Amino acid sequence: MPQPAEPAGGGRPPAVYGERLAPAVFILPAVLVVLAMSIFPLIVSLYLSLSRFKLAKGGFTVDFIGTLNFQKLLVGSQQFHLLGKLVPLSPVAWAWVALVALAALWPAISGLRRGAGWGFVVGRLVIATGLVAIALLFGATASEGGQFGSLGVTLIYVFGGVTVQYLIGLGLAFLCAQKLAGRRLFRVVFFIPMMITPVGIAYTFRMLTDTTKGPFAPFWQLAGLGDFAWAATAWGARIAVMIGDAWQWIPFMFIVLLASLEAQPVDEVEAAMVDGASRWQVFRYLTFPAILPVSVTLVLIRMIEAFKIVDLPNVLTNGGPGIASESLTLHAFMAWRALDLGGSAAIAYILLFVVTFFCVSFATLTRRAGVAA
Amino acid sequence: MRATRRMRAIDEPTPLGKAVSYVLLGIWTIVVLFPLYWVSITAFKVPIDVNDGPFYLPFIDFQPALDAWQYLFGTMLADTLRPYLNTVIVAICSSVIAVAIGTMAAYALVRLTYRPRVGAILGFVLCVILAILGVALVGVPWPVALACGLALFALLLYGLGRRFRRALGNDDIAFWMVSQRILPPVTVVVPVYVVFQHLGLLDTRTSLVITYVAVNIPIVVWLMRDFLMGIPLELEESAMIDGASRYRIFWSIVLPLSTPGLAATFILVLIMAWNEYLLALFLSSANAQTLPILIAAQNATRGPQWWSMSVLIIVMIVPVVLLAIALERFISRGLLIGAVKG
Amino acid sequence: MAQDKPFEGVTVNIVTFTGPQIAEPLQRRAPDFEKLTGAKVQVITVPFSDLYNKLLTDFATGTNSYDAAVFAPQWMGDFIEPGYLEVLTDRVKGDAALKWDDIAPFFRDFSASYKGDVYTIPLDGDFQMAYYRTDLLKEAGLEPPKTWDDYLAIAEHFNGKDLNGDGKADYGSCIAKKRNAQSYWFITSIAGNFLQTQGTSEGAFFDTATMTPLIDNDGFRKALQIYVDSTKYGPPDEINLDVGDTRGLFTSGRCALTLDWGDIGTLAIDPKTSKVQDKVGAVIIPGTKEVVDRATGKLVACDATTCPNAIDGVNHAPFAAFGGWSGAINAAKDAKTKDAAYAFLSYMSAPEQANEDVTIGITGFNPYRTSQFENQDLWIKAGMSEAAAKSYLGAIEASLNSPNMVLDLRVPQNQRYQQIVLDTAIHRTLAGETKPDEAIQEIVTGWDEITEELGKDDQLTAYKASLGVTK
Repeated sequence: MPQPAEPAGGGRPPAVYGERLAPAVFILPAVLVVLAMSIFPLIVSLYLSLSRFKLAKGGFTVDFIGTLNFQKLLVGSQQFHLLGKLVPLSPVAWAWVALVALAALWPAISGLRRGAGWGFVVGRLVIATGLVAIALLFGATASEGGQFGSLGVTLIYVFGGVTVQYLIGLGLAFLCAQKLAGRRLFRVVFFIPMMITPVGIAYTFRMLTDTTKGPFAPFWQLAGLGDFAWAATAWGARIAVMIGDAWQWIPFMFIVLLASLEAQPVDEVEAAMVDGASRWQVFRYLTFPAILPVSVTLVLIRMIEAFKIVDLPNVLTNGGPGIASESLTLHAFMAWRALDLGGSAAIAYILLFVVTFFCVSFATLTRRAGVAA
Repeated sequence: MRATRRMRAIDEPTPLGKAVSYVLLGIWTIVVLFPLYWVSITAFKVPIDVNDGPFYLPFIDFQPALDAWQYLFGTMLADTLRPYLNTVIVAICSSVIAVAIGTMAAYALVRLTYRPRVGAILGFVLCVILAILGVALVGVPWPVALACGLALFALLLYGLGRRFRRALGNDDIAFWMVSQRILPPVTVVVPVYVVFQHLGLLDTRTSLVITYVAVNIPIVVWLMRDFLMGIPLELEESAMIDGASRYRIFWSIVLPLSTPGLAATFILVLIMAWNEYLLALFLSSANAQTLPILIAAQNATRGPQWWSMSVLIIVMIVPVVLLAIALERFISRGLLIGAVKG
Repeated sequence: MAQDKPFEGVTVNIVTFTGPQIAEPLQRRAPDFEKLTGAKVQVITVPFSDLYNKLLTDFATGTNSYDAAVFAPQWMGDFIEPGYLEVLTDRVKGDAALKWDDIAPFFRDFSASYKGDVYTIPLDGDFQMAYYRTDLLKEAGLEPPKTWDDYLAIAEHFNGKDLNGDGKADYGSCIAKKRNAQSYWFITSIAGNFLQTQGTSEGAFFDTATMTPLIDNDGFRKALQIYVDSTKYGPPDEINLDVGDTRGLFTSGRCALTLDWGDIGTLAIDPKTSKVQDKVGAVIIPGTKEVVDRATGKLVACDATTCPNAIDGVNHAPFAAFGGWSGAINAAKDAKTKDAAYAFLSYMSAPEQANEDVTIGITGFNPYRTSQFENQDLWIKAGMSEAAAKSYLGAIEASLNSPNMVLDLRVPQNQRYQQIVLDTAIHRTLAGETKPDEAIQEIVTGWDEITEELGKDDQLTAYKASLGVTK
């Protein structure tokens, strides 16, 4: 009877060799795909942002021009578009900036006092600098006579929007966590908005907010607001965008917070209440700390996505009135549509920096909340 | 110690609380459902009914008509079914692949140890940059540049790689992968278009599937990583002692145990691929167009065709809603676990 | 049988935007064309806002998935300079069925041509007119507006009254002013009358000698003021309405006046879209009795030298906004495909087909051939009353016959000039974010910057080429 042949090449049998390759086999497909579709475009985009795209005979040319695109956006003729119309800060604005500076420097200072490593302190200082810069920008554009640019508008959408979405989502989650009949039905219904394509939602809200033929038109008339055009005022347009955004993303907050509330062990709550704790104390000392880690991650996820908002302002107001509702992605999208690829890439890179700054800052500052970010 | 008489359960609200809760929940239900109702009735209106002011009730305020439906599913049947089919195929394929690859990567990041060296990574990036500059500035044909870049990288790896000891860990890899979500699609659209053009894959479903897989893997890794962490190590350890290979363990033990998480992740990724607009717009022209593009296309030069748009929105939502209703339980549980560990 | 079907086995991929307008007639007639010639025509559609981008990317990167395109001649500047479009001059001259001379001179000699060569086949005639409610004006004893002062006066008169019997207050004038949509043409429809007097070749955007933007002058200033003033008589959210909205408003009877392309004529007669059948009149774009002296930038009165093309002492400059959807052929394709594509475009434009299509609202094709507005029967057959047809076609005739039609801006990257700089500045003025003077400075700075970036001499040459100026 012939012996089973030795595996070719001598040495290890195939099974063990496959086992050795397991780490690579498991992770390489994902790493390769992500590498190919992210690193490469990222670098090409960087190059585009430093050049000028021009159509020419036979194709197109990409000429390196250094930081001209960025200069135009930050200090040049498009500054009003990106940063806004900057005016000297009013005293109130200065007060706010001072407040923000104090709040932002606190982690660094307390770290120093505690004797934390210099890496820790430097990190906190960088975050503080960024926050103060943003506060200055807001001060310069929100003061009398100033106007927001796409950067400011995006920050309004992100921070205002996420806050409102979180609070309403939390409220709904609380309501649904109670023992109410039919709450499964509520859960299912509340989940639906998240499943509609953003373009569809944008057009739906455009229909709804139409002041002449939308469903609320008669109510506007009755309330005497017949002549008020939300789309013709800067804040009206921004709020309309935020309402649409909230409608779509509150389900996301709701579902996650609800699940986390339901995962709370009931015995603890019961024990506390039997011991005489009020509902408020239960919330403050038991529930809130339990959902805090979830909330932090949730807010972080939502923030990352919120920075990319484009469909709603595009469809509702096309960025108007003027540029009052234009987000950074919309700004980049419009530039790209007009074939200003260099400018578009420059704006997108600025957005990338801003998002990275906020996400890293947020993750760093909330690490103490017990989340391994 | 409970009292013997029937006590209201501790988290059951007072009757007043119940009433208030129902009112608030009812309000929000209306907020959610009213826009959908409006879209549904608009799908059955003729243009004059839309332009002449709001009409709320079919048969009472206006006569429902099937004009928009006839137009989309009669006259333009081929041009409506094609995007529909594309959306279904691309969304399902890309979701399945993304979940498969992503779960494998998530498992690896949880159970195996990686120590990629910083030097290797920097070297790799450097080689990519050099390759790109070569193609862009000097006009080297891209397969040549690719080959040279890889060769250079291999050289660097074996030559200088040993010098730089500093290495990263699993968490860093995970963070890198997840941070890909920060990238705005508008940044990568042009380079991705050029890549697919050179590969001859423009306007094919394949290009969309590849792109969506790449874009959604971060989500899969994020969610599945933490779900997998919840699976007891002992099960796998005892299997390993019995001689099972990694692959066996993954396939026969880990996957069945993580079905809820898989279902949740799958639905989420499916929704994202189903609804994606910008990348599909750019990578498709005729054959690979998807439904979101068709919806946006109803905004013609003559103004949005609200009626056709509403039909398309309804037709787009219904399958996803049905699927979500069926899998709703998995979603909330799956999302939670993903969020807790961050 | 092969001679009967010269293009057997050939497929023509023709791209345009998702209709139904424009795409519908192409799709409807494709089977007939196939029966006649054997060529299979595949109509590809993309969202309108992305057509320009997709076309250019397709050509510039060498993908060439499109054999022909029905697009806006306004975009020609970007397509011709790099050599993407096939020259059609000889084909057109040798094509009897096309009846090239029947096409109105403006569309023949300006819209379809560049530097003396023909590049596109017109399928549609785009230019803007003013529409008014005949019943309302008759009742009030008012004449259709001849100048912009008339227009504003009529708008003021009717604003706030109930114009369609539903008890709600309606509007004097509805003009689409939404940003990044199609509004940025309306400002030129107003300004052109002040800026261009000597005929199309004079141009209304830049000075043909120096490439200075024709913005910082009293004429544009006045036009901007008129544009801003008209908002007072419009719907409260007028600055967020685009053309679809204003059309809907006008056809449901809620506006006394509107500015638009030719679509209102056909939309008004369809009972599914209109409540104002037989109540709509059209008139050539209102003009002005004062025009700009380019040397000084100031306004001067109209006389025989300053306004040689004036009608009753009023200078009109009908604006061929957008240019009129036309078909062009991808120069990079093989000869057989190009021939088949040309045959299809010629077929679509030939009077036998075109004259019927322009009477049907859903096609989106507006008249551009002399035979189309001379023969009223077709229109009456389509449902227009005789009075309405007379008014509508009369206005079209007056506009098309005007030697002073304004050609839309056709230099390379015109979208950046109009959509990015002009549109943003105008909208910010409408929204009150900037003052008119600041806006004018913004436009001049923005335009000069783009011109510098792309090369002033190149742009000037291209501008003159598009106007047919050979010197």
